[in-house]
Amino acid sequence: MKINSLAREDVFHTLVTSEAGLTEEAARNRLAEFGPNAIQELGKPSLLSKLGRQFTHFLALILWVAAALALISDALHPGEGMLTLGLAIVAVIFINGVFTLAQEHKAERAVEKLKLLLPFRVRVVRGGQEREIPAPEVAPGDLVILSGGDKVPADARLIETQFLMVNNASLTGESEPVPLSAKPCDGELIESSNIAFAGTTVVSGSGKAVVFATGMKTEVGRIAHLTSAVETGLTPLQKEIVRATRIIAFLATAMGLVFFGVGYFAGRTFWENFLFAIGIIVANVPEGLLPTVTLALAMGSQRMARKKALVKNLTAVEALGSVTVICTDKTGTLTQNKMEVSTFWIDGTEFAARDLPLNRAQATYLLRVAVLCNNAKGVDGEYKGDPTEISLLRAAGDVARELRSERLFEIPFDAERKRMTTVNRIEGRTFVFAKGALETLLPLCDRTEQAGEVVPFDPALRERLTEGYHALMDKGLRVLAFAYKEIETFSPADGPERIESQLVLAGLVGLEDQPRPEVPEALHKCHEAGIKVVMLTGDASRTAVAIAKEIGLVHGRPHVIEGHEFAALTDAELRDRLREEEVLFTRMAPKHKMRVVSILMEEGERVAVTGDGVNDAPALKKADIGVAMGLTGTDVAKEAADIILLDDNFATIVNAIEEGRAVYENIRKFTSYILSSNIPEIVPYLVFVLFRVPLPLTILQILAVDLGTDMLPALALGAEKPTPGLMKQPPRDPKVGLLSAPLLGRAYLFLGLIEAVAALYGFFYVLGSGGWNWGEMPAANDPLYMQATTACLTAIIVCQIANVMACRSSRESLFRLGLFSNPFIFVGIAAEVTFQLLIVYHPVGNTIFSTQPLPARVWLLFVPFALFLLGAEEIRKAVARSPWSARAKAPHS
Amino acid sequence: MYKKILAAVNEHFNSEIAARYALDLARVCDAKLYLQFVAGRRQSRSDMDTAEEAMRRLFAEATEKQIPVERIVVTGDPVQEIVSTVRDEAIELAFVSTRKEDVKKRFYAGTVARKLSVRLPCSVALVRAVRVGHIHPARILVPLKAQIDHLEERTFFIAKVAEVFHAKVFLFHAPRPVTRLFHGPIHLAPGEWETRLPKDVAELIESLHRYKVEFERRIIPGAVGKSITIEAAAKRHDLIVMGASQRSLWASFLKGNPVEDVLRQTPCDLIILNPKHED
Repeated sequence: MKINSLAREDVFHTLVTSEAGLTEEAARNRLAEFGPNAIQELGKPSLLSKLGRQFTHFLALILWVAAALALISDALHPGEGMLTLGLAIVAVIFINGVFTLAQEHKAERAVEKLKLLLPFRVRVVRGGQEREIPAPEVAPGDLVILSGGDKVPADARLIETQFLMVNNASLTGESEPVPLSAKPCDGELIESSNIAFAGTTVVSGSGKAVVFATGMKTEVGRIAHLTSAVETGLTPLQKEIVRATRIIAFLATAMGLVFFGVGYFAGRTFWENFLFAIGIIVANVPEGLLPTVTLALAMGSQRMARKKALVKNLTAVEALGSVTVICTDKTGTLTQNKMEVSTFWIDGTEFAARDLPLNRAQATYLLRVAVLCNNAKGVDGEYKGDPTEISLLRAAGDVARELRSERLFEIPFDAERKRMTTVNRIEGRTFVFAKGALETLLPLCDRTEQAGEVVPFDPALRERLTEGYHALMDKGLRVLAFAYKEIETFSPADGPERIESQLVLAGLVGLEDQPRPEVPEALHKCHEAGIKVVMLTGDASRTAVAIAKEIGLVHGRPHVIEGHEFAALTDAELRDRLREEEVLFTRMAPKHKMRVVSILMEEGERVAVTGDGVNDAPALKKADIGVAMGLTGTDVAKEAADIILLDDNFATIVNAIEEGRAVYENIRKFTSYILSSNIPEIVPYLVFVLFRVPLPLTILQILAVDLGTDMLPALALGAEKPTPGLMKQPPRDPKVGLLSAPLLGRAYLFLGLIEAVAALYGFFYVLGSGGWNWGEMPAANDPLYMQATTACLTAIIVCQIANVMACRSSRESLFRLGLFSNPFIFVGIAAEVTFQLLIVYHPVGNTIFSTQPLPARVWLLFVPFALFLLGAEEIRKAVARSPWSARAKAPHS
Repeated sequence: MYKKILAAVNEHFNSEIAARYALDLARVCDAKLYLQFVAGRRQSRSDMDTAEEAMRRLFAEATEKQIPVERIVVTGDPVQEIVSTVRDEAIELAFVSTRKEDVKKRFYAGTVARKLSVRLPCSVALVRAVRVGHIHPARILVPLKAQIDHLEERTFFIAKVAEVFHAKVFLFHAPRPVTRLFHGPIHLAPGEWETRLPKDVAELIESLHRYKVEFERRIIPGAVGKSITIEAAAKRHDLIVMGASQRSLWASFLKGNPVEDVLRQTPCDLIILNPKHED
C-alpha cells in the first residue's frame, strides 16, 4: 500500500496534516527533520580534493618520489643539473593533473541541470492561509497549490483537481500532457494518476496536493542521486595505464636497487651509486607517455567531432573503441523519426495511403477520427505538432482542410492508457472519436464496420481484425486503431468510462518511420566488428522485429522481451536472456534502461548506451559510454553523457567506434616508439657501472629525449589513419594489456637494442677520436666528454627518426602504408631534428644539456644504424605477416 | 522471539513513522506494544502537545488493530527513562527514530538515538524515515556483510517485516573488489562471485528458506555504503533493513563507515537493527 491508494482523509492522517496545511511551526520542524527541498550532488568532493587526487595517483606518486630524489641530490651535490630535473618532473605532474581535472570538471554538470527543474517559489497553504514560500522550504505534509504554468516543487499526492493536466516529459520523456485526478488508484507510484512529481510542469487546470517526498527523496531526486553517485569506474585505457605504470615502476625500482648493489660491490662511492640509481629510474620511467596519450586522445576527439560525435570526456575516445555492446533506442536513432502513413486497413482490406482518393468513401469515419482526434495544427501552410498526428493530417489530404467541427471535450493521450479521445460536434451531431493502440481500444469497441454497415463484433470479425493488425505490424509499421460513436447528448461529467464505451471500430492505420539510410551499413560493420547491438523500443514486438529485420539488426528469430515481462524477470533470468545472440526489448520505458546496462556490465561487457531524456541520465552515467542525442536530447542527458551525437544518428556511433579503435592502435604504436628509447637510455648506465667508463648519457639528456624530441613524432603516430581491417576484428580482449609481451619484446629487445648499440658506438667513437684511453674518467665539464655524450644523444635521436617510421605499423610494411600517407610524421621529425640541433649547436642548449657541437661526419655515422633498424624491422614484419607465422592469425589486440 | 516491543515517541514526525513500523511488527509477532514518550524538563509546551497527539494517534491505531498496547508518559532524561522501562518490562525490541539533523552529529557528538542504540539492554531498531509516501514497503533491500552475528534474530526480523507488509526481500552483498598488484581490479562475473559467497550469508539464505520468505539475491562488488544506496535508488526499493555498525570511531575515521554512509544518503526508509538476542 502506498500513498496513491489512500482515500483523501487517509492521506491527511498518514502525513499528519490537514486541509489547512501544516502550521508554520510544524513545517519548520519537518524541514529540520527531512532537510531542504533541493537537489544536491551526493558526496561531491571539493575542487581542492579533486586536485589533490590528481597529484596522488600511482604514477604521480612515483614522479613525486623521483622529483624528491633529484632535489635531494641537488642539495647534496649541486651543479649536476638535478634541480632542473626535479623541476621538470614537477612540471609534468602539474600539467597532467590540471589538464585531467579540467576534463573531469567539464563532465560533472548533469546534477546542476537537474536542479533547474525545480521552481524557485511555490504557493502553499499553511495554518489555513495561502502563501508563497521559496521552494526549498517545502516540507513533507505541506499542502501545495498548483495551477497552469507552475512547476511542481516536490512529489505530492493530489487531493483536489480541476481539469489538471501536467507535462511529465522531464521524467518520462512523453511530451503529451497527462490528466491527473485526486481519485485513489492502485499500482506503482510512478505510474499513478493522482501523483504530481517534482520537476514536472502544470500545463492547464489547477489542483491541491499534499507533499510526501522532498528534495533528494523525490523521483527527480532519485535520478540526481543515481546520476551523481553512479561511477563507471576506470576506462579500459586507464586500467591499462595503471597496470603499465605499476610494471614500469616495479622494473625501474628493482633495476635501480640491483645496480646500486652492483655499484657498491664494484667499489663505487655512495654518491656515484645514488646518482646511478636515480638515472636508472629516470631512464625507465617514460615521462612523456602520459602527456602524449592525453594529447592523442584530444586529437582523436577532434577527429570524432568532425564526424559529428562530440566527445565530452577524453578517455571516452578510447573507451568507445573497446565497446562490445551498444544498447540503442530505435526512434530517431535507427529511424528518421519522420512518421508517414503507409497503409489503411478497413473492413478487412488493406490499401496504400496513396490510393486514398479512390477509397475515400470507404474511409469516411476513419478519416474523421484521424483529423478530429488530433492536436497537430496547420500554421503558415505547415503542420506543427506530434510527428504521428502530423502524418495523419497529411494522409487525410483534402479531408483535413475541409472538415469543420467544434471540439467539446478531450481525454488526452497518455502512455499508460495508450489512447486519446475527443468529443466533437459536426453539423449538429455529436460524436466520440478515439485513436490508440489496438490492445487498449478494442476492449472498448462492441461494433465494427462491414460492407458499409455497422455490425456487432463476432469472433470471426475479431479474428479478421487481429490478422490484419498482425499483417501491418509484420511490415514494420506502427499500428493505430480508430474508433467512434455517435451520441445524443454529452456532458463532461459523464466520465471517461462512459464516453469511451460501446465504440465502433473504424479501421487501422499503419505508420512507417523510415530507417536512416546509413543504418544498415553501420549495423553490418557492427556485426563484422563483433559488437552486439541491443534495441530498446516502446514499439510493439512485431513492429520492432520487422524493422530490426529490415535494417539488418537481426537475421533469424530474435529473442524478444516485452516491458511487462522485463519487469517480472529476476536479474538472473534477465542475465540469461541477454546472453542470446539477438535480443530486442519492446514496449519498454526509459526507466528500464539502467537495469539492462548494469547487467551487461556485470557480465563483463563494455557497454555504450544511447539516451535523450532526463530519466536516461543514470543509464548514460552508468554505461562505459553514454551517448546523448544532440538534436533531441535534454540538457540533463547531454551533461550525463560522455559523447553527444550532433546528428542523433546510429551510424555516427559506429564511425566513432572505428575512430576509438584507431586511437587505441595508435597509442600502442607510440608506446612502442617511446619505450624503445628507454633501452639506449638505460644501457649507458649499465655500461657506466659495470665497465668503469664515463657515464655516456646524463639525466638531463634523457629528459631531452623523453619530454622533448620524442613528443611530437609520438603525437604524429597518434594521427595515423585506421588500418583498413580494423572494423573486421572482434573487440580487443581486455586481458591483453597495453604492455603486452610482444610489444615489450619488440620495443626493448629489438628496436631498443639497435638504438643502444648506435648510442654507445657514437659515445666511444668520439671519446676514442679525442684520445681517450680505457679507464680514464674525464671531468663532467671536459669538452671531449661533453661532445661524446652529445654523440650518444644524437645517435638515439637519429635512430628514433627511423623508429617512428617503423612504428607506424606493427605488421604492415612501411612501403605498403605509403611513405607520405601521414604528413604529421614529417612535421614531428622536423621538430625533433630542430630541437636536437638547438641542443647540439645553440649555446643555451649546450649550457642546459651539457652538450658540445658535433662535426657533421658524426651525424652521418648513425645513418647506417637507422637504415639497419628500418631494414630489420621490415624483415620482422614480413615474418609476422607470413602464413606460417602464428602471429599472422592472432586477433586484433 | 519478540513478545514485548517498545516504540520511543517524541515530537518529531520521524518517531511516529518509526512507531508505525513497531506497531505493524507487534501485530505480526502477537507482541505487546509499549508507546513511551519522555518529556524533557526544558521541553516546550507545543512540543509536548505534538508528541502527545502522536501518542494518541498511535494508541488509537494499535487499539483498532487489536494490538495489546500500553502508553507510558514520563518526565526526565529520555535515555535513562527508556532504559529503565526496557529493564522493568523486559522489553525485547525497541524502535527508535533518527532524523536528518541527528545524522550529522550522532556518530561524533552522540544523540539520544545513538545512546539508546548502545545502552538499551534489548535489541534496537533505529529507523530513519525519508519518504513518507511508502506506507507499506513492497520491496525490502537487505544488505549483508560477510560476517553476520545474531543470525537467527536477524533472519527472524527480516522475515517478520517481509511478512507484515507482504513484501519481497532483496538480499545484497557488496564484497571488496578483487585486485592484483600488477593487474589492478579484476572483473568477476556474478556467477564467479556466487562461488565466493561468504559462509554467514549462505547460512542466512538457508534460514530465510525456513521462513518461506520470497527473496532474490545480488552480489555487486564496490564501496559498500555507496553500492547500497545506488542499489536502493536504482531498483526503487521502499525500505532498507541492515545491521548496525560495529566499527569504532577511530576505525570509521580511517576506513569509513558504510552504515553511516547509508544513514546519510538513504533514498528510502531505513531500519538499522542492533540485535542482542543470543542465537
